[in-house]
Amino acid sequence: MVRVPPERFGEPLKETIEDILRRGYDYRGYTEGGYEGKLDKNLGVILAITKIIKIGEGKIVPGDGAVYHDVTFEALVFKPELHEVVEAEVVEVVNFGAFVRFGPLDGLIHVSQIMDDYIVYDKKREALIGKQTNRVLMPGDKVRARIVTISLNPDKKETKINLTMRQPGLGKLEWIEEEKKAMKEKAKEKVKAGGK
Amino acid sequence: MKLTRFEKARIIGARTLQLAMGAPPLIKVSKDMKDPMQIALKEFELGVIPITVRRRLPPKKEVGELL
Repeated sequence: MVRVPPERFGEPLKETIEDILRRGYDYRGYTEGGYEGKLDKNLGVILAITKIIKIGEGKIVPGDGAVYHDVTFEALVFKPELHEVVEAEVVEVVNFGAFVRFGPLDGLIHVSQIMDDYIVYDKKREALIGKQTNRVLMPGDKVRARIVTISLNPDKKETKINLTMRQPGLGKLEWIEEEKKAMKEKAKEKVKAGGK
Repeated sequence: MKLTRFEKARIIGARTLQLAMGAPPLIKVSKDMKDPMQIALKEFELGVIPITVRRRLPPKKEVGELL
């Protein structure tokens, strides 16, 4: 249901409704429409209104000069799924983990879920370092991680997404390359040993 | 469709409110016509208001209910 205010009656209806869905406007203290960039608990983040499919007949309700239309529209959304593997960028590192950004959302990788190693937090470098492997995770690093918990909330700050990198094929992209190389070499050695 | 006096009042009322809230008038408005109600009445007389009435029938009563 879209409320079209009287001051916009002169404009073409479809464009007006599109604009209200996209950008919204203030009405009695709250925002009407303005869905782009909003987060819905069931839909995920609405990135764009792509197409208006149907505009219903306008209705006038008592006490308001505006016209209300039932509108069916298509939107592009980003919805994180449980167990989905995403590539993300580390934006902040704190003593309890790393905050990563993928698309329009932020998530947290807890220290315990970063690597199979004992991890120390380096406050000066804002980095998490593996004691044995000497692997370093810093802001700006690209990582591949799996989503383990999702709690979407209309308030983006209250939205919590937890990820893990303690699975084969996950981690900082450089680590994955290292692992791949190590695997290949191992395979080669095996072939050699088998040849003898 | 012939409108009842109630429907007429509802349409003119709604149109007046729209004009008061900034809707563009559908007729040429001279300078001395400042009252939105005046404009709405004029629009109604000229039959240019794009508002229709959806008449609803009263809910059907079962015979048993009346007894």
